[in-house]
Amino acid sequence: MVATATNPLRVGLRQERVIAPQCLVIFGASGDLTHRKLVPALFELFKQRRLPSEFALLGCARRPWSDDEFRGKMAEALASKIAENPEAWDQFASKLYYEPVDLQQPDDVVRLGGRLETIDQRCATRGNRTFYLSVSPKFYGSGCRALADAGLLKDPLRSRVVIEKPFGRDYGSAQALNRVVKSCGQENQVFRIDHYLGKETVQNIMVLRFANTIFEPIWNRNYISSVQITAAETVGVEERAGYYETSGALRDMVQNHLTQMLAITAMEPPGRFDPEAIRNEKAKVLQAARLADEQEPWNCCIRGQYASGGSHDAPLAGYRQEPGVDPNSTTETYVAMKLFVDNWRWQGVPFYVRTGKRLAKRLSEVVLTFREAPVHLFDAATGGPTANQLILRIQPDEGAEFRFEVKSPGSGMRSRPIDMEFSYDESFGEPSDEGYVRLLADAMLSDPTLFTRSDEVEAAWRLYTPLLELIEDSPWQLPIHPYESRTWGPAAADALLARDGLLWRRP
Amino acid sequence: MSPQLTLQTPLELEPAEVPTYLEQLWSTEQQGNTGSGANTFCLLIWQPAWAEQQLVRSGRLNGPITGQQSDALLAAGRQAVIDTDLPLSTPPTAGELIAAIAQLEGENLADDLRGQYIDPALSELQPRRLITLAPTINADQRLETLVAAYCPLPEEGGGTTACGDVVVLRGGQNALRDGMSILQPLLPPSMPSWVWWNGFLDEAPDLMEQLACAPRRLIVDTAVGNPRHCLNLLRARVESGQAVNDLNWLRLRSWRETLAMVFDPPNRRDALCHITQLDVDVEGHHPTQGLLMAAWIADRLGWQLQRTEISEEGVAAQFSRHDGADIRFQLMSVPTGQPSVHAGQIVGLRLICQPEQGQGVCVILCAESGGCMRLEGGGMASLELHEEIVSVKHASPEMDVARLLSGGHDSTNPLLSAAAPLAAKLLS
Repeated sequence: MVATATNPLRVGLRQERVIAPQCLVIFGASGDLTHRKLVPALFELFKQRRLPSEFALLGCARRPWSDDEFRGKMAEALASKIAENPEAWDQFASKLYYEPVDLQQPDDVVRLGGRLETIDQRCATRGNRTFYLSVSPKFYGSGCRALADAGLLKDPLRSRVVIEKPFGRDYGSAQALNRVVKSCGQENQVFRIDHYLGKETVQNIMVLRFANTIFEPIWNRNYISSVQITAAETVGVEERAGYYETSGALRDMVQNHLTQMLAITAMEPPGRFDPEAIRNEKAKVLQAARLADEQEPWNCCIRGQYASGGSHDAPLAGYRQEPGVDPNSTTETYVAMKLFVDNWRWQGVPFYVRTGKRLAKRLSEVVLTFREAPVHLFDAATGGPTANQLILRIQPDEGAEFRFEVKSPGSGMRSRPIDMEFSYDESFGEPSDEGYVRLLADAMLSDPTLFTRSDEVEAAWRLYTPLLELIEDSPWQLPIHPYESRTWGPAAADALLARDGLLWRRP
Repeated sequence: MSPQLTLQTPLELEPAEVPTYLEQLWSTEQQGNTGSGANTFCLLIWQPAWAEQQLVRSGRLNGPITGQQSDALLAAGRQAVIDTDLPLSTPPTAGELIAAIAQLEGENLADDLRGQYIDPALSELQPRRLITLAPTINADQRLETLVAAYCPLPEEGGGTTACGDVVVLRGGQNALRDGMSILQPLLPPSMPSWVWWNGFLDEAPDLMEQLACAPRRLIVDTAVGNPRHCLNLLRARVESGQAVNDLNWLRLRSWRETLAMVFDPPNRRDALCHITQLDVDVEGHHPTQGLLMAAWIADRLGWQLQRTEISEEGVAAQFSRHDGADIRFQLMSVPTGQPSVHAGQIVGLRLICQPEQGQGVCVILCAESGGCMRLEGGGMASLELHEEIVSVKHASPEMDVARLLSGGHDSTNPLLSAAAPLAAKLLS
């Protein structure tokens, strides 16, 4: 969103919840996520005066840094943000500490306990702690166990653990990880983060659906003919080849972000706005979801991989030519699939989901296409009547758009489609917070509404199990279709919809 | 949800015995391992309920007296406005109405359950101690001190939930003054204490001084009492640094939110720099809410007050903008057929913005309960008009107080801190 001068009448009207005195401990503090997302989000919370004065951030990693070195590294990484407000950074930086910790070494974790007590005394953080596991996924289970063994999770009201994605690699490993995590603490202490849920516009899907009476009566199979969910990136794999080669688009984007968007779009209205009520409904809808053809998944799923592209002046390398990528890699950078949700609301309505790297545009959106009018009374200026569509734009240009037919001016009675638009920029003109700002605050407030519960994660993995098994056992049945960089993906993905007489929306 | 009674029949004790009794009640020996006193907050309520007492006495309302703002009380109050020939715009619990009913005959009696009738919104917050001061209309009535626990005692099979107690001091005002000495020992220093002055702000100043001393947090309603006294008291308390919350300010929430919403789209924000006129219409002759609204706008937009003039019709003032241009402010009292429960609620607001070049803008906010014909009239055809309807559905005072208590609010809202002194100045 475009940042504009603040509305002076808006200042002070936002009702922010108060975060209790707190020490946030980040494991993996020397990693990319810490300086790219987490510390900037915390600095933003600090600037918005939403962190309590009794706050400390303790970075932990294996590197033998001192407090000052850690502060220096963070200052380096956030240089452009600090330049806007150096005084605020000086105050914030005084709350940063560092402790060299290897979670696999029990002695280190015991020493960490001692350091936390010192910080409690020095910063009055009252033993209230949030542990953020920003480490390699293979250490999530052992990390939780190490914290539990050191007694750092024994108080369910004052200690909590945030776990980054991916939570498991498949259904079995997610179940196993959940078992370990549950043996270390209570479910309400565990915050499985999915930063898409921190986006204002994803949360707005719930408000749009459940705060308005006009949508809910038509939000079902009687009026909606199909749903498309897209998360498109223009960037390639960049520096993440090591991780991406073992993950691919299905694990990296579909199982978590796109599935969460599907759950929020398709869930039943919760009885109240309460974390468990909302997560119950999301879990139920994921348990009712299935691939359109579970027996022969190749009929409902297309995998692709970006090839070279770009222009003569600015050529773009293909995925297999990227540094760190196997030249014969069969990792997918694009996935498109068709799903169904077998319940009363959605029976028979196809949900088409797609994501990919190096696509033509960066955007995330949910498109609900409504059934056509039963009788066409008018000539359509575009050849045939256009189905009504509600487009929920998640990013960029956040907002919503409703497409419907109107009379084309003139003496005849021809119809043509027009778009009615709502734009966050035009209506509010305030930049919305990064997803991590909201989610870090929520975790410190012990509010799990926007975090995924164990049964949701497992249901999401179970949904894609036939595909993951197929990729594992007989990958040739789910071949990789190359597509030119900066296009809308392989032609096979278009054919997937063409079989149903549909087209992907070209935004 | 309907209000609930305490689970235990209140016990009448000598005032001096109350602190010892309650100390023993919550001692480890007495409680064993089965229950504990909630470690939350204490709430002292000044609960005169003058209108209810007079309506019951004169036979216009059936008892018991609860101190709650019930539908029956409001209906009886509205009927009494008609019976006593007061203007129809008189609110159903207004001071002039209470004075008029006091002249009527009647000696009806009813149970007085003030302090024992607890609104669920408050009891859900599990207060450790609710202390109610219940002055009676009989000024000579002796002091009665009642005590009741909130949760079943162990010998009655009590559970492990956090418990609280209620203390009621009831009697004539002189008797209540005598009983004030027991209050301090009843307020554990380890938890916050709130004082809700649920009466006229200009009554019993000495009692308010004793009850609402810092660091106790104060809740008032500046719609109740003499307007100038209300605003001066609010200003003095804010300036002293005490945490003060005003229910009248809370009821402005939807007005402030709606006005901010009008200027959320960036292309409208420039108009805020070119305001030339602000009009506020309020119900009846109680300008405090309208002045707080105007003061909030002036503070947010950096206006300086130049002069103010008070008349029968309302308040007129002149502000100057950052660029030195003048802004005319007028607050008008307007009659309404069905007055709100609270005196002086805003019914309409108009902002006129006239840039030197380009089209002017007129913003009109109008209460959903009535029209704002006065604000809609008068040569604005050339202006771009934005008109919004403001919801004026107010929660009960108990709900508002519960919201304040649950939100912590250990300091005065900074917007109120800035607006209160300016609002008081507008009426000085």
